[in-house]
Amino acid sequence: MSLSRSLFLAAVGVTALAACQPAAEERVVNVYTARHYDSDQTVYAAFTEATGIEVNTISAGGDLLIERVRADGERSPADVIVTVDAARLQRAEDAGLFAATDFSQLAESLPANMQEPDGHWIAFTGRTRVIAYSQDRVDPAELGSYEDLADPRWAGRLCMRSSDNVYNQSLLASIIIHRGEEAAEAWARGVVANLARPPSGGDTDQILAIQAGECDASLVNHYYYLRLANSDSADDQATAEAVGLHFPSGSEFGTHVNISGVGIAANAPHPAEAREFIAFLLSDEAQRAFAELTNEFPVTGYDGYDNDLLRGYVTERQDALNVADLGAQTETAQRIFDRAGWP
Amino acid sequence: MAIETSVSRPRRTAGWDLSPFAAIAALLAAAPLVAVAILAVSGPLDDYLLHVAQTRLADYLSNSAIVGVTAAVGAGSVGVITAWLVARAHFPGRRFFQWALALPLAVPAYVAAYAWLDLSQGAGPIKSALRDGGIEWLAAALPTVRGPFGAGLIFAFTLYPYVYLLARESFSSQSVDTYDAARTLGYGPVAAFRRTALPMARPAIAAGMALVIMESLADYGAVAHLGAPTLTVGIVRAWAGAGALADAARLALLLAAIALVIFSAERAQRRRARISTLSGRTRPPRRERLHGWTGAGATLLCALPLLIALVIPLARMGWLALEAPAARGLLDAFRHSAILASTTGVLAAGLGLLTAYAVRRGSWFAKASSRLASLGYAAPGAVAAVGVIAVLSLAQSGLDAVWGGVFPILLTSTVLALIFAYLSRFAAAAIGPCESALERVTPALDGAARTLGERPLGVLRRVHWPLVSGGAITAGLIVFVEVLKELPATMILRPFNFDTLAVIAHNYASDERLGQAGAPAFALVLTALLPMIYVARRIVKDSALEDLG
Repeated sequence: MSLSRSLFLAAVGVTALAACQPAAEERVVNVYTARHYDSDQTVYAAFTEATGIEVNTISAGGDLLIERVRADGERSPADVIVTVDAARLQRAEDAGLFAATDFSQLAESLPANMQEPDGHWIAFTGRTRVIAYSQDRVDPAELGSYEDLADPRWAGRLCMRSSDNVYNQSLLASIIIHRGEEAAEAWARGVVANLARPPSGGDTDQILAIQAGECDASLVNHYYYLRLANSDSADDQATAEAVGLHFPSGSEFGTHVNISGVGIAANAPHPAEAREFIAFLLSDEAQRAFAELTNEFPVTGYDGYDNDLLRGYVTERQDALNVADLGAQTETAQRIFDRAGWP
Repeated sequence: MAIETSVSRPRRTAGWDLSPFAAIAALLAAAPLVAVAILAVSGPLDDYLLHVAQTRLADYLSNSAIVGVTAAVGAGSVGVITAWLVARAHFPGRRFFQWALALPLAVPAYVAAYAWLDLSQGAGPIKSALRDGGIEWLAAALPTVRGPFGAGLIFAFTLYPYVYLLARESFSSQSVDTYDAARTLGYGPVAAFRRTALPMARPAIAAGMALVIMESLADYGAVAHLGAPTLTVGIVRAWAGAGALADAARLALLLAAIALVIFSAERAQRRRARISTLSGRTRPPRRERLHGWTGAGATLLCALPLLIALVIPLARMGWLALEAPAARGLLDAFRHSAILASTTGVLAAGLGLLTAYAVRRGSWFAKASSRLASLGYAAPGAVAAVGVIAVLSLAQSGLDAVWGGVFPILLTSTVLALIFAYLSRFAAAAIGPCESALERVTPALDGAARTLGERPLGVLRRVHWPLVSGGAITAGLIVFVEVLKELPATMILRPFNFDTLAVIAHNYASDERLGQAGAPAFALVLTALLPMIYVARRIVKDSALEDLG
């Protein structure tokens, strides 16, 4: 099929040359992505500019993307699949959607725990889940590990997002891995007992609730806070000043980190372009765009971006756990949340 | 009842038997749900359902009940009161309100939810201002729009137009003889309304409320954000957290069963009320003039739902949008939204009419398949989308088996997959209004027209169409707006690089960039405005004729 197709294309190419017309074969890469940020549009445009490869995108939630690629089977046009958390990548891998790829050249600069061991996918940005706290009502010395949030002295002082949220599930998955299921469940129950109100809203809403005095601390992804802190709006600035971020890096296993990750689809019609695309995601130019536009951590060690607040967090010790291990514990994590009554 | 069925059965209304075609159309619409059912039955069994039953199920069900009841009662009251005022009274602004009151339908519930939580929470502008002004106690006393009651209210105010549209149609077309008789016999306007007009409009109101309940039970975005985990949240959670699609499908069947009960209750209502509509229309309604404070009160009553559902949320989003960077690609998204919504709206109205006719002919097969098609509305959008993917994937492998892969992939290549998904999901929204419109065409009317020498086609054109066109257009409009707002199916079934306004608005909102979501949300409402004004003008024309009569 592919041989006859390339022969056909070669024939077309020759004919086209003979007719003194440019060859019409356009290079494309089809990207199925769970990300929909403006920064990604910027990166795609730069990629097309640099390589001449057009980027086609379909964006939707990770689970739907997986179903669609699976349903299309061998004829799926998907070249690369991008999700915003390691668990979804793992699920896509379990469904056999990724081609095992030798990323060793591309990912030289990537820490080992940011790559799936068998080369099915790799990370391209890092995102940490950290403790947001009130500057007025919380003494930073009082802050410790994630586990400390289950301590009764936080009773009635915590706001949390719903456990439907995958970032909470991944965090609990990491606690399960480090501490075991029983300790993880005790922790979840402890946090629920300390809640100031039932979970609602997104991460930004938790930060706003701290500012408004509804609670004293919460768990949020760092970039939601940085978006406020780096904003031009006076209101956002005021929120950022009233709230601090604590990285539990002094605790035993460090700050929980999740990823945006990418892999090449098993039936990718354009594997070469897919490779170039992933290489570009790890380029300084793309890493810079993610660091500056979405406040995500570069995974390549790139440091040339213009975002001092983000740079200030880079030295925080991150959990050395391989992100690929989180996916296997997500279901258990969810059941623990269910049992603990954390909706 | 018995008399009516014995009359309608032998009468060949239009000369052709539409039921096989309509039944096929309805079955097509039901196919995704059938696929979900197959998923549910064929998937591997483990202890997940048991786990859910032991931990969260009671919570999901009670939240669903609170959300559904709050939404239904709220939307029912708002819809009936405003419809009655607009249909039967003159008051300042009536002409504006008669079309504007339908507009909140264009506001996606999740947009209203994001805006109201943002406005009403402790850090929101209202409570911050109160605290800054030293009125701490008031800031503490004001409620925050969250939890099942908050979510129910959001649905009540964004979905009441279903009740309003159908009830207004009923109020302005029903005979006023009984109402006038009641007034003559000494009943006040409220009592006369309660005893005559309300019972006659009951099928329409019940149909509207059933749609409200279905849609609020199947919603994910608003309830998830407001912290009111309903069964739908449980379904998506089963799938997203545990990756257990089969378990999600099983929970979805439970939701569909609940929907079946609600729809059956609505049918029962409709049957009970049919006798009253048999009286036909003898005299068109006339409007009572409301002066002074009463008139101002009517204006306020009609303005309030518009403020809560439309003006305040959009103003908040617009205010935030002023500070935010501009959203990208709005023009293309507008074009895509408009094309998808209008195509599907027209097709759905046709499908609705055909099915309504088939059901009217009384074939059990048509009835059963239309009921099945109605259930598509009750499945959460994401689950319905999975059903569509399964159906298309099956069709694809069938095509490939026969033709050897010459056909482009059904899912990716065109918007046909999307339109199929929309039709299957919103068939109920189209069939309901068409059926209740067709109920005004009594078998006796057909008989009279045929006796007077009209040919079958003439009966359709000159007798049926004038009576059912209002319902068909309402059906098309509802589907148009639903398609504008639809998310999960649009997200996953669209071709490459194909954004709609709802997709852009949702992407920004879910990324917690409310400001940037403001512009596409505005554009969404504006897109819905145009067809709504058209429909409104039709209605104005109709009522002008009625005023003459």
